[in-house]
Amino acid sequence: MKGMLKGLGVTMKTLGSKKVTLAYPDVPIDMPDRFRGIQYFDPDKCIVCNQCVRICPTECITLTGKANPDPEKKGKVIDTYDINFEICILCDLCTEVCPTEAVVMTNNFELASYSRDELFKDKDWLFGNNTNVREDNNNIGSPKGGAK
Amino acid sequence: MQHFWDQPLSWGTAAIFAAGAVGVLAFVLFFVTYAIYFERKVIGWMQYRKGPNRTGPLGLLQSVADVAKLLLKEDTIPKKADKGLFVLAPVLAFVPSFAVLAMIPYSMNLQFADLNVGFLYYIALSGITTIAIVVGGWASNNKYALLGGMRSAAQMISYEVPLVISVVGCVMLSGSLNLREIVESQAGYFWQWNFIPQIIGFAVFLVAAVSELNRTPFDLPEAESELVAGYHVEYSGFRFAFFMLTEYVYVYAIAALTTLLFLGGWNAPAPQLDFIPGILWFFVKFAFIVFSLFWIRATFPRLRVDQLMGLAWKVLLPLAILNIFLTAIGIELMR
Repeated sequence: MKGMLKGLGVTMKTLGSKKVTLAYPDVPIDMPDRFRGIQYFDPDKCIVCNQCVRICPTECITLTGKANPDPEKKGKVIDTYDINFEICILCDLCTEVCPTEAVVMTNNFELASYSRDELFKDKDWLFGNNTNVREDNNNIGSPKGGAK
Repeated sequence: MQHFWDQPLSWGTAAIFAAGAVGVLAFVLFFVTYAIYFERKVIGWMQYRKGPNRTGPLGLLQSVADVAKLLLKEDTIPKKADKGLFVLAPVLAFVPSFAVLAMIPYSMNLQFADLNVGFLYYIALSGITTIAIVVGGWASNNKYALLGGMRSAAQMISYEVPLVISVVGCVMLSGSLNLREIVESQAGYFWQWNFIPQIIGFAVFLVAAVSELNRTPFDLPEAESELVAGYHVEYSGFRFAFFMLTEYVYVYAIAALTTLLFLGGWNAPAPQLDFIPGILWFFVKFAFIVFSLFWIRATFPRLRVDQLMGLAWKVLLPLAILNIFLTAIGIELMR
């Protein structure tokens, strides 16, 4: 009997308390900074090292490079860079391994679409995905350019 | 309304009766629409949610949209169902729930039929709904529906007994089964309302009433998480809507009855407050009872089926009988 009255008290107290419902589709959700969302890709920083492709557990990243158009400089620049979000598991490994932070995580997560083709994102789309980019991309404090 | 009953029936009085019935129906439909909305809101608030708020301003059109959906749905009847009974059951359930509203007095002069056995009339008619539930469960030709219907019949018949006996105390105090006279005998300050002198009867009545309504914590006939959906598994569309409607019309009837029998009906809590019209007092108390039903639903878990019958016959019934004896002793001593 006492427990039942206590229960009624609890529900009555809850009635006036702050609600946890988020106005989600109307108001975007603020994700914490280490959220693993859709990658942002900066072609200027990419050195075509291919590490992201090799570490990707689902092999969803494909890239091709081309010779640097400036004949003075050595190395390659990125030509195409695609991530297939049908199979990407947003595991954060590609951004972790990237030595130049050319590919980093953002807080965006809305990928639903009407067609599977729309889930195949190319270089330009990923470059355009430049909102809510993760701020701290080196949170373990590893030396810049890798350990010597 | 009452003086029309004393005149011989003519086309004119018949038209007035029909208009009155349509008026009550419209009011009850309005009540049901917003009782469902209010129930979802209250339960939402009690679970840290906001409740429906997308359809119309503040979600006020949510129930309207839900009912429209039910009415537009395809009308399905299972192939092996007993067609006649299957169609009859929702009608048989709804008609008595609406007919019991005739005897509810809202204030001193606003009442459709001033029956001198008002409460008995309610019990007699609400029993027919039990039959409709069994019929619906049987006619569906579905084992879950049949089990739900049987459970429901067992529960409703068992709890009707303490429900009726708990009211006997009230009837003894006022010396009448007429609801208007029961209310009049409670006039005065609020401690003269029956819920204090009849505190045991009031408690038994509340528990038995929640059970009669098949609402949580006594919603075993439906028990959406245990049975599939009880007696209305096979029902959809507007036939299902009728069962839902019946349930909420009974909420209306029981809330009105509780107000009349135990909370002094249209009497103000103190004679000094009589300048506020009685019908307002009636609906304030009525709304409080309806809210309490939702509050109880949001708080308590469902009873186990083996505790259900024990509660009715071993706890509520002896308490109700004890209440009768105590009331009789009280009347004898006060004389």
